[in-house]
Amino acid sequence: MLRLFWAELKRNWLLFKRYPTEAISGVLGITIIFYGLFLSFKYVGGAGMQFGDRLDAVIVSYVLWSLTLFVIGDIAQGLQREAQTGTLEQIFLSPFSAMWVFLLRAIASLTTQLALTVSTLVLIMWLTGTRLSFSPILLLPLGTVLLGAYGFALGIGALALLIKQVQQLLGIFQFMLFFVLLVPIESWAGQYQFVGWFLPMSPGAGLLREIMARGHTLDLTQFAIALVNGLVYFGLGLLAFHWAERRVKQHGKLAGY
Amino acid sequence: MFILEAHKLKKSYLEKGQSIAAVQAVSLTIAAGEVLAFLGANGAGKTTTIKMIAGLIRPDDGWVRIAERDPHQDPRARRSLGAVLEGSRNVYWQMTVEENLEYFGVLRGLDTRTARRRGRELLERFSLMHKRRTAVQALSRGMQQKLAIAVALMHAPQVLLLDEPTLGLDVEATEDVKRLVREIAAEGCGILLTTHQLEVAEELSDRVAIINRGKIVAEEATEDLIRQFSGSAYLIETEGAIDLNRIRKLRRLGVKLVGDRTVYTVDPAKLYEVLEILCPLPLMHVEKDQANLTDVFLKLVQENRHA
Repeated sequence: MLRLFWAELKRNWLLFKRYPTEAISGVLGITIIFYGLFLSFKYVGGAGMQFGDRLDAVIVSYVLWSLTLFVIGDIAQGLQREAQTGTLEQIFLSPFSAMWVFLLRAIASLTTQLALTVSTLVLIMWLTGTRLSFSPILLLPLGTVLLGAYGFALGIGALALLIKQVQQLLGIFQFMLFFVLLVPIESWAGQYQFVGWFLPMSPGAGLLREIMARGHTLDLTQFAIALVNGLVYFGLGLLAFHWAERRVKQHGKLAGY
Repeated sequence: MFILEAHKLKKSYLEKGQSIAAVQAVSLTIAAGEVLAFLGANGAGKTTTIKMIAGLIRPDDGWVRIAERDPHQDPRARRSLGAVLEGSRNVYWQMTVEENLEYFGVLRGLDTRTARRRGRELLERFSLMHKRRTAVQALSRGMQQKLAIAVALMHAPQVLLLDEPTLGLDVEATEDVKRLVREIAAEGCGILLTTHQLEVAEELSDRVAIINRGKIVAEEATEDLIRQFSGSAYLIETEGAIDLNRIRKLRRLGVKLVGDRTVYTVDPAKLYEVLEILCPLPLMHVEKDQANLTDVFLKLVQENRHA
Protein backbone atom coordinates (compact mmCIF):
# COMPACT_ATOMS: atom_id res chain seq x y z
CA MET A 1 0.00 0.00 0.00
CA LEU A 2 2.88 2.35 0.85
CA ARG A 3 4.46 1.62 -2.55
CA LEU A 4 1.23 2.58 -4.24
CA PHE A 5 1.05 5.77 -2.18
CA TRP A 6 4.55 6.77 -3.35
CA ALA A 7 3.58 5.99 -6.94
CA GLU A 8 0.48 8.17 -6.56
CA LEU A 9 2.55 10.92 -4.95
CA LYS A 10 4.99 10.80 -7.85
CA ARG A 11 2.19 10.77 -10.42
CA ASN A 12 0.55 13.74 -8.69
CA TRP A 13 3.81 15.70 -8.60
CA LEU A 14 4.54 14.94 -12.27
CA LEU A 15 1.13 16.20 -13.36
CA PHE A 16 1.39 19.23 -11.07
CA LYS A 17 4.79 20.13 -12.54
CA ARG A 18 3.46 19.69 -16.07
CA TYR A 19 0.32 21.79 -15.55
CA PRO A 20 1.09 24.28 -12.73
CA THR A 21 -1.03 27.17 -14.02
CA GLU A 22 -4.31 25.56 -12.98
CA ALA A 23 -3.19 25.17 -9.36
CA ILE A 24 -1.66 28.65 -9.18
CA SER A 25 -4.72 30.30 -10.69
CA GLY A 26 -6.78 28.41 -8.06
CA VAL A 27 -4.77 30.00 -5.23
CA LEU A 28 -5.10 33.45 -6.76
CA GLY A 29 -8.83 32.97 -7.42
CA ILE A 30 -9.63 31.91 -3.85
CA THR A 31 -7.54 34.78 -2.44
CA ILE A 32 -9.10 37.40 -4.72
CA ILE A 33 -12.66 36.25 -3.88
CA PHE A 34 -11.92 36.50 -0.17
CA TYR A 35 -10.27 39.89 -0.51
CA GLY A 36 -13.23 41.13 -2.53
CA LEU A 37 -15.61 39.98 0.22
CA PHE A 38 -13.36 41.51 2.88
CA LEU A 39 -13.29 44.90 1.13
CA SER A 40 -17.06 44.82 0.62
CA PHE A 41 -17.72 44.21 4.33
CA LYS A 42 -15.26 46.96 5.23
CA TYR A 43 -17.07 49.37 2.91
CA VAL A 44 -20.48 48.43 4.37
CA GLY A 45 -19.18 48.64 7.96
CA GLY A 46 -17.52 52.01 7.47
CA ALA A 47 -13.99 53.24 8.12
CA GLY A 48 -14.04 52.64 11.89
CA MET A 49 -15.15 49.02 11.67
CA GLN A 50 -13.19 46.49 13.73
CA PHE A 51 -13.52 42.77 12.95
CA GLY A 52 -11.53 41.53 15.95
CA ASP A 53 -11.17 37.74 16.31
CA ARG A 54 -14.23 37.25 14.08
CA LEU A 55 -12.13 38.04 11.01
CA ASP A 56 -9.52 35.51 12.14
CA ALA A 57 -12.24 32.89 12.62
CA VAL A 58 -13.72 33.65 9.19
CA ILE A 59 -10.30 33.37 7.56
CA VAL A 60 -9.69 29.98 9.18
CA SER A 61 -13.13 28.75 8.06
CA TYR A 62 -12.75 30.15 4.55
CA VAL A 63 -9.35 28.55 3.96
CA LEU A 64 -10.58 25.30 5.49
CA TRP A 65 -13.58 25.47 3.16
CA SER A 66 -11.32 25.82 0.11
CA LEU A 67 -9.23 22.84 1.29
CA THR A 68 -12.19 20.54 2.01
CA LEU A 69 -13.85 21.60 -1.23
CA PHE A 70 -10.77 20.35 -3.04
CA VAL A 71 -10.65 17.10 -1.04
CA ILE A 72 -14.35 16.38 -1.54
CA GLY A 73 -14.29 17.03 -5.28
CA ASP A 74 -11.00 15.23 -5.88
CA ILE A 75 -12.17 11.59 -6.00
CA ALA A 76 -15.35 12.33 -7.96
CA GLN A 77 -13.57 14.55 -10.49
CA GLY A 78 -10.78 12.00 -10.80
CA LEU A 79 -13.32 9.27 -11.45
CA GLN A 80 -15.10 11.38 -14.05
CA ARG A 81 -11.82 12.15 -15.80
CA GLU A 82 -10.82 8.47 -15.81
CA ALA A 83 -14.21 7.46 -17.18
CA GLN A 84 -13.95 10.14 -19.90
CA THR A 85 -10.43 9.26 -20.95
CA GLY A 86 -10.96 5.50 -20.68
CA THR A 87 -8.49 4.57 -17.97
CA LEU A 88 -11.04 3.83 -15.24
CA GLU A 89 -11.22 0.11 -15.95
CA GLN A 90 -7.46 -0.23 -15.68
CA ILE A 91 -7.73 1.01 -12.08
CA PHE A 92 -10.32 -1.67 -11.37
CA LEU A 93 -8.00 -4.31 -12.87
CA SER A 94 -5.45 -3.61 -10.15
CA PRO A 95 -5.06 -6.15 -7.34
CA PHE A 96 -5.49 -3.16 -5.02
CA SER A 97 -9.10 -2.22 -4.33
CA ALA A 98 -10.16 0.71 -6.53
CA MET A 99 -11.51 2.45 -3.44
CA TRP A 100 -8.07 2.46 -1.82
CA VAL A 101 -6.41 3.51 -5.08
CA PHE A 102 -8.66 6.57 -5.28
CA LEU A 103 -8.31 7.30 -1.58
CA LEU A 104 -4.51 7.09 -1.71
CA ARG A 105 -4.56 9.23 -4.82
CA ALA A 106 -6.66 11.84 -3.01
CA ILE A 107 -4.32 11.79 0.00
CA ALA A 108 -1.31 12.14 -2.32
CA SER A 109 -2.84 15.14 -4.03
CA LEU A 110 -3.60 16.63 -0.59
CA THR A 111 0.14 17.14 -0.08
CA THR A 112 0.38 19.56 -3.01
CA GLN A 113 -3.00 21.04 -2.09
CA LEU A 114 -1.82 21.70 1.48
CA ALA A 115 1.12 23.68 0.10
CA LEU A 116 -1.30 25.69 -2.05
CA THR A 117 -3.68 26.18 0.90
CA VAL A 118 -0.87 27.51 3.10
CA SER A 119 0.06 29.90 0.26
CA THR A 120 -3.57 31.08 0.11
CA LEU A 121 -3.64 31.56 3.88
CA VAL A 122 -0.39 33.53 3.88
CA LEU A 123 -1.66 35.74 1.03
CA ILE A 124 -4.97 36.43 2.82
CA MET A 125 -3.18 37.17 6.12
CA TRP A 126 -0.88 39.59 4.31
CA LEU A 127 -3.77 41.34 2.54
CA THR A 128 -5.95 41.65 5.67
CA GLY A 129 -3.15 42.24 8.19
CA THR A 130 -4.31 39.26 10.29
CA ARG A 131 -2.09 37.22 12.58
CA LEU A 132 -3.06 33.59 13.26
CA SER A 133 -1.38 31.18 15.62
CA PHE A 134 0.08 28.03 14.08
CA SER A 135 0.87 25.09 16.31
CA PRO A 136 1.50 21.39 15.52
CA ILE A 137 -1.55 20.56 17.68
CA LEU A 138 -3.65 21.98 14.81
CA LEU A 139 -3.01 18.79 12.89
CA LEU A 140 -5.34 16.89 15.25
CA PRO A 141 -8.57 18.84 14.57
CA LEU A 142 -7.48 19.27 10.94
CA GLY A 143 -7.22 15.48 10.75
CA THR A 144 -10.82 15.08 11.98
CA VAL A 145 -12.06 17.56 9.35
CA LEU A 146 -10.11 15.71 6.66
CA LEU A 147 -11.54 12.36 7.79
CA GLY A 148 -15.05 13.73 7.30
CA ALA A 149 -14.01 15.35 4.02
CA TYR A 150 -12.64 12.03 2.70
CA GLY A 151 -15.85 10.34 3.79
CA PHE A 152 -17.80 12.82 1.66
CA ALA A 153 -15.25 12.48 -1.14
CA LEU A 154 -15.87 8.73 -1.21
CA GLY A 155 -19.63 9.30 -1.04
CA ILE A 156 -19.61 11.69 -4.00
CA GLY A 157 -17.11 9.40 -5.72
CA ALA A 158 -19.67 6.61 -5.30
CA LEU A 159 -22.26 8.82 -6.98
CA ALA A 160 -19.80 9.61 -9.77
CA LEU A 161 -19.34 5.87 -10.31
CA LEU A 162 -23.08 5.41 -10.62
CA ILE A 163 -24.18 8.49 -12.53
CA LYS A 164 -20.81 9.66 -13.93
CA GLN A 165 -21.71 13.36 -14.00
CA VAL A 166 -21.65 15.05 -10.59
CA GLN A 167 -20.47 18.53 -11.55
CA GLN A 168 -23.79 20.20 -10.71
CA LEU A 169 -24.05 18.32 -7.44
CA LEU A 170 -20.56 19.46 -6.44
CA GLY A 171 -21.60 23.02 -7.21
CA ILE A 172 -24.59 22.77 -4.85
CA PHE A 173 -22.52 20.91 -2.30
CA GLN A 174 -20.00 23.70 -1.93
CA PHE A 175 -22.66 25.98 -0.41
CA MET A 176 -23.69 23.31 2.09
CA LEU A 177 -20.03 22.89 2.92
CA PHE A 178 -19.73 26.65 3.41
CA PHE A 179 -22.45 26.40 6.05
CA VAL A 180 -21.05 23.40 7.97
CA LEU A 181 -17.54 24.86 8.09
CA LEU A 182 -18.48 28.44 8.92
CA VAL A 183 -21.28 27.79 11.41
CA PRO A 184 -19.88 28.63 14.88
CA ILE A 185 -21.01 25.49 16.71
CA GLU A 186 -18.33 26.12 19.35
CA SER A 187 -20.49 29.00 20.63
CA TRP A 188 -23.76 27.00 20.53
CA ALA A 189 -25.26 25.78 23.79
CA GLY A 190 -27.83 23.22 24.96
CA GLN A 191 -29.60 21.12 22.34
CA TYR A 192 -28.08 23.19 19.52
CA GLN A 193 -24.63 22.12 20.67
CA PHE A 194 -25.82 18.49 20.45
CA VAL A 195 -27.05 19.08 16.89
CA GLY A 196 -23.69 20.67 16.05
CA TRP A 197 -21.85 17.49 17.00
CA PHE A 198 -23.62 15.64 14.22
CA LEU A 199 -22.95 18.18 11.47
CA PRO A 200 -20.23 16.83 9.16
CA MET A 201 -16.80 18.34 9.84
CA SER A 202 -18.29 21.13 12.00
CA PRO A 203 -16.80 20.01 15.36
CA GLY A 204 -13.27 19.85 13.87
CA ALA A 205 -13.71 23.21 12.13
CA GLY A 206 -14.90 24.75 15.40
CA LEU A 207 -11.84 23.43 17.23
CA LEU A 208 -9.53 24.89 14.57
CA ARG A 209 -11.15 28.30 14.95
CA GLU A 210 -10.77 28.11 18.74
CA ILE A 211 -7.05 27.33 18.50
CA MET A 212 -6.00 29.43 15.51
CA ALA A 213 -8.18 32.50 15.86
CA ARG A 214 -8.88 32.69 19.61
CA GLY A 215 -5.64 31.18 20.93
CA HIS A 216 -7.40 28.50 23.03
CA THR A 217 -5.76 25.17 23.88
CA LEU A 218 -7.08 21.88 22.52
CA ASP A 219 -10.16 20.70 24.43
CA LEU A 220 -9.82 16.90 24.57
CA THR A 221 -13.56 16.24 24.93
CA GLN A 222 -14.32 18.41 21.92
CA PHE A 223 -11.51 16.69 20.05
CA ALA A 224 -12.96 13.24 20.88
CA ILE A 225 -16.35 14.40 19.54
CA ALA A 226 -14.70 15.76 16.38
CA LEU A 227 -12.79 12.49 15.91
CA VAL A 228 -15.90 10.32 16.27
CA ASN A 229 -17.70 12.67 13.89
CA GLY A 230 -14.90 12.34 11.32
CA LEU A 231 -14.69 8.55 11.69
CA VAL A 232 -18.44 8.10 11.26
CA TYR A 233 -18.58 10.15 8.05
CA PHE A 234 -15.43 8.42 6.76
CA GLY A 235 -16.95 5.00 7.49
CA LEU A 236 -20.18 5.98 5.73
CA GLY A 237 -18.12 7.08 2.71
CA LEU A 238 -16.30 3.73 2.59
CA LEU A 239 -19.61 1.87 2.73
CA ALA A 240 -21.14 4.05 0.01
CA PHE A 241 -18.19 3.55 -2.35
CA HIS A 242 -18.14 -0.20 -1.75
CA TRP A 243 -21.87 -0.42 -2.43
CA ALA A 244 -21.58 1.69 -5.59
CA GLU A 245 -18.72 -0.45 -6.90
CA ARG A 246 -20.78 -3.62 -6.50
CA ARG A 247 -23.82 -2.03 -8.07
CA VAL A 248 -21.96 -0.58 -11.06
CA LYS A 249 -20.34 -3.98 -11.74
CA GLN A 250 -23.72 -5.64 -11.44
CA HIS A 251 -25.18 -3.26 -14.02
CA GLY A 252 -22.11 -3.34 -16.27
CA LYS A 253 -21.83 0.45 -16.21
CA LEU A 254 -18.26 0.87 -15.03
CA ALA A 255 -16.84 2.14 -18.29
CA GLY A 256 -19.87 4.11 -19.38
CA TYR A 257 -19.83 7.86 -19.42
CA MET B 1 -4.32 -27.46 -17.34
CA PHE B 2 -6.22 -24.28 -18.13
CA ILE B 3 -5.07 -20.90 -16.89
CA LEU B 4 -8.41 -19.34 -17.75
CA GLU B 5 -11.76 -21.01 -17.28
CA ALA B 6 -15.11 -19.33 -17.74
CA HIS B 7 -18.07 -21.56 -16.98
CA LYS B 8 -21.64 -20.93 -18.12
CA LEU B 9 -21.45 -17.17 -17.78
CA LYS B 10 -24.78 -15.40 -17.98
CA LYS B 11 -25.60 -11.73 -18.05
CA SER B 12 -28.85 -9.90 -18.70
CA TYR B 13 -29.50 -6.19 -18.74
CA LEU B 14 -32.68 -4.30 -18.18
CA GLU B 15 -33.59 -2.08 -21.09
CA LYS B 16 -36.80 -0.08 -20.99
CA GLY B 17 -38.19 -2.46 -18.39
CA GLN B 18 -37.34 -5.54 -20.46
CA SER B 19 -34.63 -8.06 -19.64
CA ILE B 20 -32.18 -8.49 -22.53
CA ALA B 21 -29.94 -11.57 -22.39
CA ALA B 22 -26.50 -10.30 -23.42
CA VAL B 23 -24.59 -13.50 -22.64
CA GLN B 24 -26.15 -16.94 -22.27
CA ALA B 25 -24.20 -19.79 -20.69
CA VAL B 26 -20.87 -18.93 -22.31
CA SER B 27 -18.00 -21.26 -21.40
CA LEU B 28 -14.41 -20.72 -22.50
CA THR B 29 -11.04 -22.16 -21.62
CA ILE B 30 -7.50 -21.11 -22.46
CA ALA B 31 -4.34 -23.09 -21.82
CA ALA B 32 -0.90 -21.56 -21.26
CA GLY B 33 0.62 -20.32 -24.52
CA GLU B 34 -2.66 -20.62 -26.39
CA VAL B 35 -4.32 -17.87 -28.44
CA LEU B 36 -8.10 -18.08 -28.50
CA ALA B 37 -9.79 -15.82 -31.04
CA PHE B 38 -13.14 -14.79 -29.65
CA LEU B 39 -15.21 -13.60 -32.58
CA GLY B 40 -18.64 -12.11 -32.91
CA ALA B 41 -20.56 -9.33 -34.60
CA ASN B 42 -21.12 -6.03 -32.80
CA GLY B 43 -23.46 -6.58 -29.85
CA ALA B 44 -22.96 -10.36 -29.89
CA GLY B 45 -21.74 -10.37 -26.27
CA LYS B 46 -17.95 -10.36 -26.70
CA THR B 47 -17.18 -7.30 -24.58
CA THR B 48 -19.60 -8.30 -21.81
CA THR B 49 -17.95 -11.75 -21.68
CA ILE B 50 -14.43 -10.29 -21.61
CA LYS B 51 -15.38 -7.87 -18.86
CA MET B 52 -16.97 -10.66 -16.82
CA ILE B 53 -13.71 -12.58 -17.18
CA ALA B 54 -11.74 -9.51 -16.09
CA GLY B 55 -13.95 -8.99 -13.05
CA LEU B 56 -15.30 -5.67 -14.36
CA ILE B 57 -18.87 -6.93 -14.81
CA ARG B 58 -20.45 -9.30 -12.32
CA PRO B 59 -22.11 -12.30 -14.01
CA ASP B 60 -25.71 -13.18 -13.10
CA ASP B 61 -24.65 -16.81 -13.10
CA GLY B 62 -21.57 -18.92 -13.82
CA TRP B 63 -18.00 -18.49 -12.66
CA VAL B 64 -14.53 -17.46 -13.81
CA ARG B 65 -11.15 -18.83 -12.69
CA ILE B 66 -7.89 -17.18 -13.60
CA ALA B 67 -4.95 -19.29 -12.47
CA GLU B 68 -7.49 -21.05 -10.23
CA ARG B 69 -8.67 -17.85 -8.61
CA ASP B 70 -12.00 -16.07 -8.97
CA PRO B 71 -11.41 -12.43 -10.06
CA HIS B 72 -14.78 -11.46 -8.55
CA GLN B 73 -13.85 -12.74 -5.10
CA ASP B 74 -10.08 -12.84 -4.88
CA PRO B 75 -8.10 -9.69 -5.89
CA ARG B 76 -4.98 -11.88 -6.29
CA ALA B 77 -6.58 -13.27 -9.47
CA ARG B 78 -5.99 -9.86 -11.03
CA ARG B 79 -2.22 -10.31 -10.57
CA SER B 80 -2.46 -13.05 -13.21
CA LEU B 81 -4.44 -10.93 -15.64
CA GLY B 82 -3.51 -8.17 -18.08
CA ALA B 83 -5.97 -6.45 -20.39
CA VAL B 84 -5.99 -4.01 -23.27
CA LEU B 85 -9.58 -2.93 -23.67
CA GLU B 86 -11.08 -1.53 -26.83
CA GLY B 87 -12.49 1.98 -26.79
CA SER B 88 -10.25 2.86 -23.86
CA ARG B 89 -6.98 4.69 -23.78
CA ASN B 90 -5.68 2.21 -21.21
CA VAL B 91 -2.78 4.58 -20.34
CA TYR B 92 -2.39 8.19 -19.19
CA TRP B 93 -1.84 10.45 -22.17
CA GLN B 94 -0.35 13.31 -20.16
CA MET B 95 2.41 11.10 -18.78
CA THR B 96 5.44 9.85 -20.66
CA VAL B 97 5.90 6.27 -21.84
CA GLU B 98 8.35 5.50 -19.04
CA GLU B 99 6.17 7.11 -16.36
CA ASN B 100 3.15 5.07 -17.47
CA LEU B 101 5.07 1.81 -17.32
CA GLU B 102 6.39 2.52 -13.84
CA TYR B 103 3.05 3.74 -12.48
CA PHE B 104 1.01 0.84 -13.84
CA GLY B 105 3.69 -1.62 -12.73
CA VAL B 106 3.22 -0.49 -9.14
CA LEU B 107 -0.57 -0.41 -9.59
CA ARG B 108 -0.36 -4.07 -10.62
CA GLY B 109 1.56 -4.93 -7.46
CA LEU B 110 5.26 -4.59 -8.39
CA ASP B 111 7.72 -2.67 -6.23
CA THR B 112 9.15 0.51 -7.76
CA ARG B 113 12.57 -0.97 -8.57
CA THR B 114 11.10 -4.04 -10.27
CA ALA B 115 8.60 -1.84 -12.14
CA ARG B 116 11.45 0.33 -13.43
CA ARG B 117 13.54 -2.68 -14.51
CA ARG B 118 10.60 -4.45 -16.13
CA GLY B 119 9.62 -1.18 -17.84
CA ARG B 120 13.08 -0.89 -19.42
CA GLU B 121 12.93 -4.51 -20.62
CA LEU B 122 9.58 -3.91 -22.27
CA LEU B 123 10.73 -0.61 -23.78
CA GLU B 124 13.57 -2.47 -25.49
CA ARG B 125 11.39 -5.32 -26.58
CA PHE B 126 8.58 -3.12 -27.93
CA SER B 127 11.10 -0.80 -29.67
CA LEU B 128 9.91 2.17 -27.63
CA MET B 129 13.17 3.02 -25.87
CA HIS B 130 13.75 6.13 -28.03
CA LYS B 131 10.28 7.38 -27.07
CA ARG B 132 10.53 6.70 -23.34
CA ARG B 133 10.44 10.39 -22.39
CA THR B 134 7.70 11.32 -24.86
CA ALA B 135 4.19 12.06 -23.58
CA VAL B 136 1.77 9.38 -24.79
CA GLN B 137 -0.42 11.95 -26.54
CA ALA B 138 2.48 12.73 -28.89
CA LEU B 139 2.92 9.09 -29.97
CA SER B 140 1.49 7.52 -33.11
CA ARG B 141 -1.59 5.30 -32.73
CA GLY B 142 0.56 2.22 -33.30
CA MET B 143 3.01 3.21 -30.58
CA GLN B 144 0.18 4.00 -28.17
CA GLN B 145 -1.22 0.54 -28.77
CA LYS B 146 2.16 -1.09 -28.28
CA LEU B 147 2.53 0.84 -25.02
CA ALA B 148 -0.93 -0.30 -23.87
CA ILE B 149 0.13 -3.92 -24.47
CA ALA B 150 3.45 -3.33 -22.70
CA VAL B 151 1.61 -1.82 -19.71
CA ALA B 152 -0.69 -4.87 -19.59
CA LEU B 153 2.40 -7.11 -19.52
CA MET B 154 4.26 -5.22 -16.78
CA HIS B 155 3.40 -7.75 -14.07
CA ALA B 156 4.00 -10.74 -16.41
CA PRO B 157 0.39 -11.97 -16.30
CA GLN B 158 -0.53 -15.53 -17.19
CA VAL B 159 -3.60 -14.39 -19.12
CA LEU B 160 -3.81 -11.44 -21.50
CA LEU B 161 -7.11 -10.08 -22.79
CA LEU B 162 -6.68 -8.21 -26.05
CA ASP B 163 -9.81 -6.48 -27.26
CA GLU B 164 -9.31 -5.28 -30.87
CA PRO B 165 -5.54 -4.79 -30.55
CA THR B 166 -5.03 -3.92 -34.23
CA LEU B 167 -8.04 -1.66 -34.70
CA GLY B 168 -7.11 1.55 -36.53
CA LEU B 169 -3.45 0.60 -36.97
CA ASP B 170 -1.54 0.93 -40.23
CA VAL B 171 -0.02 -2.11 -41.94
CA GLU B 172 3.38 -1.81 -40.27
CA ALA B 173 1.96 -1.31 -36.78
CA THR B 174 -0.47 -4.22 -37.31
CA GLU B 175 2.44 -6.48 -38.26
CA ASP B 176 4.33 -5.30 -35.16
CA VAL B 177 1.40 -6.09 -32.88
CA LYS B 178 0.90 -9.50 -34.52
CA ARG B 179 4.56 -10.33 -33.99
CA LEU B 180 4.31 -9.32 -30.34
CA VAL B 181 1.17 -11.42 -29.80
CA ARG B 182 2.95 -14.47 -31.24
CA GLU B 183 6.00 -13.86 -29.03
CA ILE B 184 3.95 -13.34 -25.87
CA ALA B 185 1.99 -16.55 -26.50
CA ALA B 186 5.21 -18.45 -27.24
CA GLU B 187 6.44 -17.45 -23.77
CA GLY B 188 3.47 -19.22 -22.21
CA CYS B 189 0.91 -16.44 -21.77
CA GLY B 190 -2.65 -17.45 -22.66
CA ILE B 191 -4.29 -14.83 -24.88
CA LEU B 192 -7.95 -14.12 -25.43
CA LEU B 193 -8.11 -12.09 -28.62
CA THR B 194 -11.16 -10.36 -30.01
CA THR B 195 -11.03 -8.71 -33.37
CA HIS B 196 -13.19 -7.88 -36.36
CA GLN B 197 -10.14 -8.34 -38.57
CA LEU B 198 -10.68 -12.02 -39.22
CA GLU B 199 -7.48 -12.47 -41.18
CA VAL B 200 -5.60 -11.36 -38.05
CA ALA B 201 -7.55 -13.87 -35.96
CA GLU B 202 -6.88 -16.62 -38.51
CA GLU B 203 -3.17 -15.87 -38.51
CA LEU B 204 -2.72 -15.66 -34.75
CA SER B 205 -5.16 -18.06 -33.15
CA ASP B 206 -4.83 -21.68 -32.15
CA ARG B 207 -8.53 -21.94 -31.47
CA VAL B 208 -11.61 -19.95 -32.37
CA ALA B 209 -14.80 -19.36 -30.42
CA ILE B 210 -17.63 -17.64 -32.26
CA ILE B 211 -20.36 -15.94 -30.26
CA ASN B 212 -23.69 -14.98 -31.77
CA ARG B 213 -26.54 -13.34 -29.86
CA GLY B 214 -24.87 -14.20 -26.57
CA LYS B 215 -24.32 -17.91 -27.34
CA ILE B 216 -21.20 -19.75 -28.45
CA VAL B 217 -22.03 -21.23 -31.86
CA ALA B 218 -18.63 -22.77 -32.59
CA GLU B 219 -15.49 -23.48 -30.65
CA GLU B 220 -12.71 -25.47 -32.27
CA ALA B 221 -9.10 -25.45 -33.34
CA THR B 222 -8.79 -22.80 -36.06
CA GLU B 223 -7.40 -25.24 -38.65
CA ASP B 224 -10.12 -27.83 -38.00
CA LEU B 225 -12.87 -25.26 -38.25
CA ILE B 226 -11.55 -23.93 -41.54
CA ARG B 227 -11.09 -27.47 -42.89
CA GLN B 228 -14.71 -28.29 -42.05
CA PHE B 229 -15.93 -25.37 -44.09
CA SER B 230 -13.50 -25.92 -46.96
CA GLY B 231 -14.64 -27.80 -50.07
CA SER B 232 -12.78 -30.56 -51.90
CA ALA B 233 -12.83 -28.87 -55.31
CA TYR B 234 -9.71 -27.76 -57.23
CA LEU B 235 -9.22 -24.81 -59.52
CA ILE B 236 -6.59 -24.97 -62.27
CA GLU B 237 -5.62 -21.93 -64.27
CA THR B 238 -3.44 -21.99 -67.37
CA GLU B 239 -1.20 -19.21 -68.56
CA GLY B 240 -2.63 -19.14 -72.09
CA ALA B 241 -5.95 -20.11 -73.66
CA ILE B 242 -6.78 -23.85 -73.71
CA ASP B 243 -7.11 -25.22 -77.28
CA LEU B 244 -10.39 -26.71 -78.58
CA ASN B 245 -9.11 -30.32 -78.60
CA ARG B 246 -8.31 -30.14 -74.87
CA ILE B 247 -11.57 -28.38 -74.12
CA ARG B 248 -13.49 -31.26 -75.70
CA LYS B 249 -11.53 -33.81 -73.64
CA LEU B 250 -12.13 -31.84 -70.44
CA ARG B 251 -15.86 -31.65 -71.15
CA ARG B 252 -15.96 -35.39 -71.71
CA LEU B 253 -14.29 -35.80 -68.29
CA GLY B 254 -17.18 -33.83 -66.76
CA VAL B 255 -15.24 -30.92 -65.29
CA LYS B 256 -16.36 -27.31 -65.46
CA LEU B 257 -14.64 -24.69 -67.62
CA VAL B 258 -14.76 -21.01 -66.76
CA GLY B 259 -13.62 -18.89 -69.71
CA ASP B 260 -10.89 -20.36 -71.89
CA ARG B 261 -8.16 -20.83 -69.24
CA THR B 262 -9.80 -21.91 -65.95
CA VAL B 263 -10.82 -25.46 -65.07
CA TYR B 264 -12.85 -26.29 -61.97
CA THR B 265 -13.22 -29.85 -60.72
CA VAL B 266 -15.47 -30.78 -57.81
CA ASP B 267 -14.17 -34.35 -57.77
CA PRO B 268 -10.60 -34.34 -56.42
CA ALA B 269 -9.96 -37.76 -58.03
CA LYS B 270 -10.13 -36.08 -61.44
CA LEU B 271 -7.35 -33.60 -60.70
CA TYR B 272 -4.54 -35.65 -62.20
CA GLU B 273 -6.61 -36.57 -65.28
CA VAL B 274 -7.18 -32.84 -65.83
CA LEU B 275 -3.48 -32.17 -65.41
CA GLU B 276 -2.68 -34.95 -67.91
CA ILE B 277 -5.00 -33.37 -70.51
CA LEU B 278 -3.51 -29.94 -69.93
CA CYS B 279 0.10 -31.19 -70.10
CA PRO B 280 2.40 -29.53 -71.28
CA LEU B 281 0.53 -26.16 -71.18
CA PRO B 282 2.15 -23.73 -68.73
CA LEU B 283 0.03 -23.41 -65.54
CA MET B 284 -0.58 -20.20 -63.60
CA HIS B 285 -1.74 -21.96 -60.44
CA VAL B 286 -3.51 -24.96 -58.94
CA GLU B 287 -5.55 -24.19 -55.87
CA LYS B 288 -7.72 -26.19 -53.49
CA ASP B 289 -11.04 -24.61 -52.59
CA GLN B 290 -10.04 -23.39 -49.15
CA ALA B 291 -12.41 -21.49 -46.86
CA ASN B 292 -11.06 -18.75 -44.66
CA LEU B 293 -12.18 -17.60 -41.25
CA THR B 294 -14.32 -14.88 -42.82
CA ASP B 295 -16.32 -17.51 -44.79
CA VAL B 296 -16.67 -19.66 -41.68
CA PHE B 297 -17.72 -16.73 -39.54
CA LEU B 298 -20.30 -15.45 -42.03
CA LYS B 299 -21.77 -18.91 -42.61
CA LEU B 300 -22.12 -19.64 -38.91
CA VAL B 301 -23.54 -16.26 -38.01
CA GLN B 302 -26.00 -16.30 -40.93
CA GLU B 303 -27.08 -19.88 -40.19
CA ASN B 304 -27.80 -18.93 -36.61
CA ARG B 305 -29.59 -15.78 -37.65
CA HIS B 306 -32.01 -17.83 -39.76
CA ALA B 307 -32.33 -20.62 -37.19
